[in-house]
Amino acid sequence: MSAEKKPLQVNPIKHSQPMGAALAFMGIKNCLPLMHASQGCASYTKVFYTRHFNEPIAIYNTSVSDITAVLDGGDYSILMAIENITKKNKTMKPELIGLHTTGLTETKGDDVRGVGMHIEIPYCYVNTPDFEGGMQSGWALTIKALIQQHTKEQNEIVSNKIVLLPHVSIQPGEIENIKEFCESFGLEVYALPDLSTSLDGYLSEGQGKLGTGAISIEDITNLATSSYVISIGESMKIAAEALKVKNEKIQHHHFEHLMGLEASDNFVGLLMQIRQIAPIPSIQRWRGRLQDAMLDTHFLIGSSSFLITGEPDMCVGIAELLQASGGTIKAVVTTTASDILKEIRCDNVLVGDLEDAKEYFEDVDMVISNFHAERLLHSYKNKALVLRGFPNYEEFGNQLKNDQLYEGSTYFLFEVANALRHIKHVHEGDENA
Amino acid sequence: MVNRAKIKELMNESACSHSKDKKPGEGCDKPKPGLAAGGCAFDGAQISLFPYADAVHLVHGPQTCLGASWETRETLSSYEGQNHTYMGFTTGITTNDVIFGGDKRLEDSIEYIVKEYSPEAIFVYSTCVTALVGDDIDMTCKLGSEKFDIPVVPVHAPGFVGGKNLGSRLAGEAVLENLIGTKEPETITPYDINLIGDYNVTGDMWQYLPILEKIGIRVLSSMSGDGRVSDIRTAHRAKLNVIVCAKSLVTLCRKMKEQYGIPWISVSFYGKRDTSFAIMEIAKALGDEKIIEKAKRVIEEEERLLEEKLIPYRKIFAGKKAVLNTGGNKAWSIASGLQDLGIEVVATSIRKSTADDIEKAKEYLGDDAVLMKTPASQQSKVIDEKGADILLSGGRSLYTAIKKKISFIDVNQEKKVSYGGYNGLLNLADDLKYAFNNPVFANVSKKAPWEAEG
Repeated sequence: MSAEKKPLQVNPIKHSQPMGAALAFMGIKNCLPLMHASQGCASYTKVFYTRHFNEPIAIYNTSVSDITAVLDGGDYSILMAIENITKKNKTMKPELIGLHTTGLTETKGDDVRGVGMHIEIPYCYVNTPDFEGGMQSGWALTIKALIQQHTKEQNEIVSNKIVLLPHVSIQPGEIENIKEFCESFGLEVYALPDLSTSLDGYLSEGQGKLGTGAISIEDITNLATSSYVISIGESMKIAAEALKVKNEKIQHHHFEHLMGLEASDNFVGLLMQIRQIAPIPSIQRWRGRLQDAMLDTHFLIGSSSFLITGEPDMCVGIAELLQASGGTIKAVVTTTASDILKEIRCDNVLVGDLEDAKEYFEDVDMVISNFHAERLLHSYKNKALVLRGFPNYEEFGNQLKNDQLYEGSTYFLFEVANALRHIKHVHEGDENA
Repeated sequence: MVNRAKIKELMNESACSHSKDKKPGEGCDKPKPGLAAGGCAFDGAQISLFPYADAVHLVHGPQTCLGASWETRETLSSYEGQNHTYMGFTTGITTNDVIFGGDKRLEDSIEYIVKEYSPEAIFVYSTCVTALVGDDIDMTCKLGSEKFDIPVVPVHAPGFVGGKNLGSRLAGEAVLENLIGTKEPETITPYDINLIGDYNVTGDMWQYLPILEKIGIRVLSSMSGDGRVSDIRTAHRAKLNVIVCAKSLVTLCRKMKEQYGIPWISVSFYGKRDTSFAIMEIAKALGDEKIIEKAKRVIEEEERLLEEKLIPYRKIFAGKKAVLNTGGNKAWSIASGLQDLGIEVVATSIRKSTADDIEKAKEYLGDDAVLMKTPASQQSKVIDEKGADILLSGGRSLYTAIKKKISFIDVNQEKKVSYGGYNGLLNLADDLKYAFNNPVFANVSKKAPWEAEG
């Protein structure tokens, strides 16, 4: 958590702000995510998410060239891009242009706000240079911008309406689960953004032209009638605060994460308080299953040590869930600095790359990291690996993995314990044979 | 630094078939806002050089450029030292570097890499931001090169100068100016060739290299599949440049002909006919009777073995018709492979093809086949009209195949096995066999109980 130790990144885990922004815009219904960049930034992002989600990805770019980089203030390339895209796809009816910048267009200093005056389609702009922050902050800044620029001010609230603001590492399938969980309390639930219908491995026609998220620009416009805003993850606090500005009657509740018994209990406690009812029987049963899973797996997890890498908000939840079952967190290597990292009970919490993380491989039983850790671990014996975070290029069904609340935490513990069993018990058997 | 005169020259490549139809000085198209798909110049440069496993590839730029691109290509290497193709290195510049310049960070990064990883060379890629703020990458590389006595090669292909193809050309320029001709080979033979433009994706090169070896042809260096920096430095001593399925590097070949008198030929190793043709072309270009005779014998033997192995597949493929929707040279190279297997290719996409590719497609497919300019809207109709049995396309078209209840292969997905050479054709045959036999496409196309039939 200190100043830079080295001048470069070797095997980086950090992803850029523009990539986080693009993903957030994909979670808005009929949004046209437009990256103000050279064509490569969008192409890389598209390939990255296509492989991670195994889904067609809607993303466009303004194709800034070396000439327009110097001569254009952004107006030409942004307006031309919108005209060209909508002309070429006549059936396409975007309801929102989601424009965000990149390192290139921030360096040249375009007025992306001013351009909006010339655009007839609802327009949202956000400044996301990729020499600042990371994927998590790009996502959060985009949600904040959507609320600031599009949510109407209100004086009244609708009593059962709530809005969830999930951090970037919460996967599409998890959003759906969390929403249904809240709905079972009889609440009207919105998530911003909402990837649950967008990148969730669902077969349908005509994908990949526009964002297919479950929340529309109209929903976002009317968001300030919610009675509660629930931010999940430190990075999302700024978005919740932006919503409170639109209506002071909205109550804000913040959760650092929704993993494990304690966090789930607190979340349920809040929903019970809002609705003054008990959770449905299946939620109560899932709590019991999580308790059982914690006990079943505590031998393995309690005798094991872990290295976690990824976005700060994700690492916090995983660390707490494992520690609650006795796991020892040897090190946490994250992408970007965050105040929340101080809350992790671990001696080695650093912002770094996989070269830094590798220093701890020898000391741990399990590495929880992204796709890139897989090959690096090949040269080590008896190290378990559970893939979480971006990217996950090869595993099937990762967009439907569920690590949240009672049910998801239960599955997560089983996945971890089974992977540990593989290196610990199976290996011991081999030696005896 | 980025050299405008050079970019202009590369965009007007005289050896490129595109230039034929253009007025002098018109050259390649600039990307149109909103419509440019595909990678940028940096992407192309990185693709062309990254397979050098003995070099470190350092990306001097902000996070997106490397963060989203490393460890994404299956370019295999037999290098026994530390294989840097599995690794990513970036200066990951911050706001401070944008304001005050990133030269110091770059200099320190080069030193760090030399100390920690001792590579044979370092390629330093400029990117949009570091090009725009004007970092003196040339000088920093030159100083690093002198200080550590290894080539530190600046690659000036920032994304905003153009597309992948241009970047690939710029990478060729970097290699020509900084590496080729800087070292002498230990031995030379009259049968030395350079392979240009095969990146050994999924081990494509390894399908045909043993055959070349058997004939007595030696690969002196590769740009850049399974390549070594120390070999490419000796490339000026080869007798022939063989460019494999890559138009972007014709400039490099043309310039090597001008500077070193090395002739070049362009070949493809996809499918039986093309592989045999390619081998014969190389042998003929080397101009040695013994080699030509040997090549004929080896080809005969290889084709015989292949035909034997293909017998069980012939029955499955008899009468089958395919629609192909993929970009560039795949439009005809995969078509050729399919035809070698006895499958009729009734349509192919020419949406992203060059004039040359379209000519080739016509030649391979014949007059009855449909050349689709807008495959997304055409392919559905073509499947019906021609009674196609399989669609080979990118993932986006999967839904078309399911709706038409025909088999599907995703040809744009990152492949895990090679379709190159004679043996690669067997891999393609296997994939096709599994696709034809798999009931999954028909099964998932069934209506849900709550959907009306009809």
